[in-house]
Amino acid sequence: MSRSVRRKLGVLTSVVILVGAAGCGGGGFDDEGSAGAATGEVRMLVNITPNLTKGYWEGLVKPFEDANPGADVKIEAPTGSGVKDSLPQLLAAGNAPDVVETLMADKVLAPQLLELTDQAWTKDTPLAQQAALDGKVYTVGVGQQAQSLVFYNKDAFTKAGISSPPKDLDELTAAMGKLKAAGYLPLQTAGDYVTGLQLLQLSDPSIATKHPDWYQQVGSKQLGVGQSMLPLLQRYESWIKSGYVDKNALGLDDVNAQTNFLTGKSAMYIMGSWFVRTAESQNPTFDLGVFAAPTEAGQPYPGPQGVTMAAPYMVLKSTKQRDLSVKLVQFLVTDQAAVQSQLAQDGNFRKGFTDKLTPLGKQVQDILDQAPKGVAQGEGYGANTLPSGFNGEWNKAVQSLYTGKSAKDVATRIDSWMGSKS
Amino acid sequence: MRARLTTLSMVGPALVLFVVMLVVPVCLSVYLSLTDWNGYSANPVVVGLRNYLDLTKSEEAIRAGWVTLVIAAVGTVLLSVLGLGFALLVNGASRLNALFRVILFYPHVLSALVVGFLWSAVLGTSGVVNGWLTTRGAEVLPFLSNPHWALASLIGVLVWAGFGVNVVLYLAGLQTVSKDLLESARIDGASARQTFRNVTLPALAPVVTVNLVLSLVTLLKTYDLVVSLTGGGPAGSTQTAAYLILWDSFHNNALGFGSAQSVVLMIVTAGLALTVARLRSRADQGVKG
Repeated sequence: MSRSVRRKLGVLTSVVILVGAAGCGGGGFDDEGSAGAATGEVRMLVNITPNLTKGYWEGLVKPFEDANPGADVKIEAPTGSGVKDSLPQLLAAGNAPDVVETLMADKVLAPQLLELTDQAWTKDTPLAQQAALDGKVYTVGVGQQAQSLVFYNKDAFTKAGISSPPKDLDELTAAMGKLKAAGYLPLQTAGDYVTGLQLLQLSDPSIATKHPDWYQQVGSKQLGVGQSMLPLLQRYESWIKSGYVDKNALGLDDVNAQTNFLTGKSAMYIMGSWFVRTAESQNPTFDLGVFAAPTEAGQPYPGPQGVTMAAPYMVLKSTKQRDLSVKLVQFLVTDQAAVQSQLAQDGNFRKGFTDKLTPLGKQVQDILDQAPKGVAQGEGYGANTLPSGFNGEWNKAVQSLYTGKSAKDVATRIDSWMGSKS
Repeated sequence: MRARLTTLSMVGPALVLFVVMLVVPVCLSVYLSLTDWNGYSANPVVVGLRNYLDLTKSEEAIRAGWVTLVIAAVGTVLLSVLGLGFALLVNGASRLNALFRVILFYPHVLSALVVGFLWSAVLGTSGVVNGWLTTRGAEVLPFLSNPHWALASLIGVLVWAGFGVNVVLYLAGLQTVSKDLLESARIDGASARQTFRNVTLPALAPVVTVNLVLSLVTLLKTYDLVVSLTGGGPAGSTQTAAYLILWDSFHNNALGFGSAQSVVLMIVTAGLALTVARLRSRADQGVKG
């Protein structure tokens, strides 16, 4: 190949690189979108799960399409492993959906979102104000999920001579001893995301009672996460040593853990309210109950309940169908039938929607009603947030208790991670 | 001039594809690695080499790097040795050998995610093996719950899922070994071991190199099996470099930092692959000569 041809190829390559870079780097970030028409397509990105299938979503929005002739809601599944992975890719490709389900607005995501503060209907939706960022509402949800719940095998408790569910953590530890003596694995846990999540769920009532403004104190570095969690970590470490949790639990996934609990091998399972639906579908052979996570000795019981928004929705600022998108979200979080359907489908809760609850569901609703307040958990939301990635880091740190690290090591590790994120 | 245009028109389409599919993403990755991009912001701020400096200080990234190197080193050796061993065993024209070849290659046809879920059902704490052990009163073996066991399990499954390709490559190589040389060695009274060592193995040198480089590069990118088998656990002990890149990029909203890790992984992969190829060049040239 001659020198001039090589030079031309070089120039051509450079041009293609620049054009390609411009194309790939452009994205749709600064697009302010437009109000759009009363008809047309609205693209909604949702997580597809065994409960929330594509068919379910399409059926859910059908009444909206019927009530708005010409409106077409296109349900889109994530292109990555989930909505969180897929949204940045879609934004970068300039192909962002109009509505997104699953994610909570945070300071990173907020600039891409349409503010819904002026929409009067948002005020009646669960946790909308608590999830607001600097007073601005970006996310609205269908209901709430109770987090700090302990599901338990009532038959195992009776066999172990435990007459009532433990109210504080000392009683919980004592109950574990009795359950182990009765031949049960006292507390079911698992690897994957479960290990860290359970400890956060268990910590919510006592931490929120002891430090009502925990997130603010942590944010201003008056308090360390590890420092404040150390007593619970030490307690958990003692549970591992005492065999109250399976030392090989990290080799289980959540499904296996649930199966172990629901087949009566273990006596307690800490999990959020979404577990109600799973548990009931498995028809356990024992009497299944649920109680609010215990508090520390001396603290009132029940304590504050960890709550998260169920089925959160947001509208992207770049939408070309702003009005129709907002109308769709309003329908999804306020229409009685749509709300009822979503609550039932994914095991979530909302005041005023108690008619169709199962007995176990009613117990959870009672726990929610009796809790002095609902509090954020882990990475949190709204004014109560920790750096992105906290939940994953916390999970790994807690799991290291099983691999030889001490509670103090875990506390130091998590405080060090928090320090690196400031 | 006409000849040049013809050359350009023939090279152009391939060049455009190459640039768009390979050069542009790499350039973008390098650019993003110099920014604080979180995946959402409209205008990523250029932070210079900060992400690379953070990478040198990140205990987690360094640990993931070592885990990746262990997987790549041990896995490459196992894939090559087992691949060659099984290729020798099934290197015949019988129907039984053909059946064995299919069986050996079959795991490679399965998706890595499926393989991971399959083996987690076998090796998990409640899995098939531990279920069998516990029904006989034995202790549960911590295949996936102990960091060392989990890493060994991961390597084992990677090798199980991948060595079919090595077998096929070695089988192809074995067909190229000169029958005359093998016959000469037999007539000269060489034992089977001597024939293998002095005739077959030297003739396979280029295939060995290809196997080593392909296995190494594949293993350095290990991701999907980690997701489905160990989830990076226990306690993050089986996180590989590729797994951590995805984790930091999308779970931690740190695409700039993730891109820096990608660039380093790309350089390390290229460096190691070239080093292996260079180290093997003398053996390869011996065959050509």
